[in-house]
Amino acid sequence: MPTDTTISQPGAIPAGVSRRERLAEWVDRNSGTFFIAPAVTLILIFAIFPTIYSIFFALSRVRFTSDGLQFRFVGLRNFSKQFFGSSEVHFLGRTDPVSLFGYACFAAVVIAVLYWWIRSFRTSTWVGMLGRTISAAMAIFLSWILCASLLSGNSIGTLYTTLFYVIIGCGIQFVIGTGLAFLCSQPISGKNFFRVIFFIPLMITPLGVGYAMRMVADVTKGPFEPLLQAIGLSDWVWSADAWSARFMMMVSDSWQWIPFIFICMLAALENIPRDHVEAAQVDGASSVQIFREITWPQVLPVAVSVLLIRMIEAFKIVDLPNIMTGGGPGSATESMTLHSMYIWRANDFGQSAAIAYLLLLLTVVTCASFFNYVVMGQIRKARA
Amino acid sequence: MAEYGHKASVRFENVEKSFGDVKVLRDFDLEVEPGEFVVLLGASGSGKTTALRILSGLEQPSAGSVHIDERNVTEILPKYRDISMVFQSYALYPHKTVAENIGFPLRVRGMEKAEIDAATLDSARQVQLESLLERYPRELSGGQRQRVALARAIIRRPSVFLMDEPLSNLDAKLRGHMRAQLKHMQKSLGTTTIYVTHDQIEAMTLAHRVAILERGILQQLATPAEIYNDPANLFVAQFIGSPPMNVIHGKLDGQDFVTNGVRVQTTASGQIEDGVMGVRPEDCSLATPSEGTLTCKIYTNELIGDHALVTVEWGDDQISVKAPKDFTGEQGDEVGVHIPRNHIFVFDRADGRRVR
Amino acid sequence: MSNASYRFRESERTLMQRLFEAPAVGKMSPVAKIVAYSLLAVWSVFVLFPIYWVIITSFKDAAAVNQGPFYIPFVDFHPTLDAWRTQFTEDSFCTVGAIGRQLWLLVYNSFVFVVSPVVSLDPMEPQICKIYLAFTNSVVISIFSTAVCVIVGSMAAYALARIQYAPRFGNIMMFVLLLVGVIFATTYAGIPWWASSSVALAFFFFLVRALRGYFKMHLRNGDILFWIISQRILPPIVVVIPLYVMFQAVGLLDTHLALILLYAVANMPIVVWLMYDFFSNLPIELEESAQLDGATRPYIFWDIVLPLTRPGLAATTLLILVLSWNEYLFAVFLATVKVQTMPIMVAAKNAGEKGVFWWEMCAVIVVMIIPVIVMAILLTRFISKGVLLGAVKG
Ligand SMILES: Nc1ncnc2c1ncn2[C@@H]1O[C@H](COP(=O)(O)OP(=O)(O)OP(=O)(O)O)[C@@H](O)[C@H]1O
Ligand SMILES: [Mg+2]
Repeated sequence: MPTDTTISQPGAIPAGVSRRERLAEWVDRNSGTFFIAPAVTLILIFAIFPTIYSIFFALSRVRFTSDGLQFRFVGLRNFSKQFFGSSEVHFLGRTDPVSLFGYACFAAVVIAVLYWWIRSFRTSTWVGMLGRTISAAMAIFLSWILCASLLSGNSIGTLYTTLFYVIIGCGIQFVIGTGLAFLCSQPISGKNFFRVIFFIPLMITPLGVGYAMRMVADVTKGPFEPLLQAIGLSDWVWSADAWSARFMMMVSDSWQWIPFIFICMLAALENIPRDHVEAAQVDGASSVQIFREITWPQVLPVAVSVLLIRMIEAFKIVDLPNIMTGGGPGSATESMTLHSMYIWRANDFGQSAAIAYLLLLLTVVTCASFFNYVVMGQIRKARA
Repeated sequence: MAEYGHKASVRFENVEKSFGDVKVLRDFDLEVEPGEFVVLLGASGSGKTTALRILSGLEQPSAGSVHIDERNVTEILPKYRDISMVFQSYALYPHKTVAENIGFPLRVRGMEKAEIDAATLDSARQVQLESLLERYPRELSGGQRQRVALARAIIRRPSVFLMDEPLSNLDAKLRGHMRAQLKHMQKSLGTTTIYVTHDQIEAMTLAHRVAILERGILQQLATPAEIYNDPANLFVAQFIGSPPMNVIHGKLDGQDFVTNGVRVQTTASGQIEDGVMGVRPEDCSLATPSEGTLTCKIYTNELIGDHALVTVEWGDDQISVKAPKDFTGEQGDEVGVHIPRNHIFVFDRADGRRVR
Repeated sequence: MSNASYRFRESERTLMQRLFEAPAVGKMSPVAKIVAYSLLAVWSVFVLFPIYWVIITSFKDAAAVNQGPFYIPFVDFHPTLDAWRTQFTEDSFCTVGAIGRQLWLLVYNSFVFVVSPVVSLDPMEPQICKIYLAFTNSVVISIFSTAVCVIVGSMAAYALARIQYAPRFGNIMMFVLLLVGVIFATTYAGIPWWASSSVALAFFFFLVRALRGYFKMHLRNGDILFWIISQRILPPIVVVIPLYVMFQAVGLLDTHLALILLYAVANMPIVVWLMYDFFSNLPIELEESAQLDGATRPYIFWDIVLPLTRPGLAATTLLILVLSWNEYLFAVFLATVKVQTMPIMVAAKNAGEKGVFWWEMCAVIVVMIIPVIVMAILLTRFISKGVLLGAVKG
């Protein structure tokens, strides 16, 4: 602070001559705090605080009483129930008779993961190593569940239903969305028309999508009923079979989310400097070569970022299964969010919070791994 | 606001600035008299902009203090320093018209609209912009934009002007024109001005005094003539002048500079093993091989226009000489180079220090 | 002018070349064209058909829905406005005037709530039919939450782009530890939340003072930015259970304010992420120049920075508006009666005793998606200009 504010100099005006100016200066000097404080406060109150509070739910048995909620500390029982106890089948799926094929696959995955993990000792710092250890542990656990349930011919639980939506769903959406974007980036007329049309589903409420799809896919009154009858499937009900129900869920999810991939990738494709492509065309490269050598490497950093965003949102899927099948048949289409929501409805707050926390853990580890090993790799390559 | 046309003095006191480990300014001392036009001259990355930004308050010095009118302003917010600055990119607000751009400094001070309009018109007139007031910056040419930036700087009648390479985005012809206008304006307003450039012609023509900066160290602060005629060290000597000063390596032995076995008489005296003799091309002249101070072979002969630039080889060094335009020597011919004794500067090569 | 000799003459090309080779740079070959257009057409049908189906279903009556699929209005079924009529003229409060009254009610009741410690006034009672109520709620909540989100978020994004912060790591850890302590005290020890949190807050400021200079490690702007953006990873289901309890404790359950703030926070990461990119791409000289001319930070932000990022701001606002318009999970947990939003309204149509009234539900869905389609068309404008691309580039 200036020491001689009282002496009025003709040159530089002394700060804070009047009260209003002093206030203005104080605001100006502290504007950094004023600018960021509201956002940080809101996030602390509505995101961080509840997240931490949620741990206490997950560690307790919560009961409604006349004077509010009653918490009784039960340790990790809510969690262990999901892995070993009564809810195991619901959450993990049936893991009991593990087939030889399942064991073989698991062994292969474990060897691959351990190889990757040991090899990274050479290059990684200890923080990086910690991250890799967590990723590796998660990968081994998830692959064990996969091998013991699906690959051994058993049913899967909400954990793998969610992962199915995330991994298979995002993969398919990414491929189709990118393909459409590539088509639309070609010299075709009516580009803007297609752009708008293809974009619309993203904006429609997931709920509306759920109902619309339910109507369209209705086997007795829906528009495809004559077709089903014609090919002799008049008795077939997609919602009665676990995999066809999951598949329908994925189709609806894709209907909604392909536009997101499409619009981002199209913007990326159109932002490639024209002269790169034109130079290659003049050199006589075929369109496949141009795509592989010029276009794809340039959009790859955007592509992985878009995929990451899509993955983050995919973990939260709840509306579609809730609307279309109510999680059924059985719990075949239940995502983890829906699982937690149903348990909440049954007033078991502790277990509900525990499942929510498991979802958080799954999301964070998966997305952080994807970010660190894929997205950062691409960004680093693009910068280099 | 300060009184109309107040002239402030500016003083940097032992200012240091580092970004992380990089020291950008070292022990920077500079005193500017009220009403003076000082040019900071230096190569790219020498810390000129950093010095200006410290004075304006956009950057805090790591050590030392800055004074305006003997008042320590190191800790004072930029807006209380009564400074205005013209940026290299002009920093015109693209969403405001020329008039709004020029009037902005008054508007943020909450002045009356009528007053602002009058002042805007007045300062636009000074830079001949009164017909363009309703346009947007994107509808102006480079020179016009530059003048808008100037008008915005003068409208407040600040006590100090700072200009960071204001002419570097203009073409050569316009630059000459704007240079004259700037000089005229500074003289008539009489405001203390600090001007950053790496163009030595701008520095020589505009400045009352030139401050030469290299790697964050002030090398010399003097009038243009002094800088040219009496450089403080080898860096300044080589930096100023075009083509640059010739350097000939050798050693100083008493009053004689010994190079490749030839003794050349100088005005300096001392005993330096590893020395450099400097002489400007325009001070040398050509002579017959036997008459010159040194006898060399012609390397090239370039006709520039009003003179010919002849480069000759002397040991490992090359010497450029400004010769009359009708000089006809060919590559490989032998010529003598005459170097007048009182135009020779001698430097210690170890630290670049001038030996007198 | 004859450069024909440089080109293949059309007649000299073989049939295969004519079919598969592009006639010129920047054009497509006939076969590629056919393939491309048919793929685009197939996809357009796939995208548009469900929407079409919803729209025509809203003009069907019970018979037209239940007696097997009918596809084209006027051709194989007779469209009626029944579904719309029953929805929008349900009772005598289904008028535009009721919407106006409801908006006034919100203003008035907020006023009543604010002055309630001093004067006690009677709040107004709602008089509006269900769908109009849901519509008003949705409009009010999405507009206000978007406003809060965009204003607060872009302020934070601007600050992170331009002002250097260095919060100490130790202070943050201290804060989190005290927070855990507060929750523990209220959850298991039964101490009222306001008591424990005020003690903790006082303790926090005391510790920050006392331990100043002990922890040297601090965060940088990039860390704060990453922290805010990564909030998007948080699945809403994690926070919604504690939020339910919190809101209940402070009487905010089933209020507009709760949803407005929640939606704002949920979408804040997107705003910060997108706007940060726009702000850091502005030339900094503009702001520095304004600073020298005497403008304060808030003034610069308002007068220079925001106008210059207008396209980005508009695109971001549209996106957030759509997201809050469609939000379902928070609403289903936290808006039980009074502040039912459109998505809840749609979902409620599912639970009729006499089966689902598809035609009525479709009418509500159509009402929901019309504004959204308008916004989608506006948004594609911005996206095709590359306005939103910068952020994804990483
Ligand atoms: N914000 C900063 N962070 C780190 N280093 C900086 C920063 N600003 C400047 N520098 C470094 O300080 C040195 C001096 O920079 P400065 O801009 O003052 O040079 P200059 O003399 O104005 O050069 P030019 O003629 O190119 O404008 C440069 O090496 C630059 O890289
Ligand atoms: Mg510079």
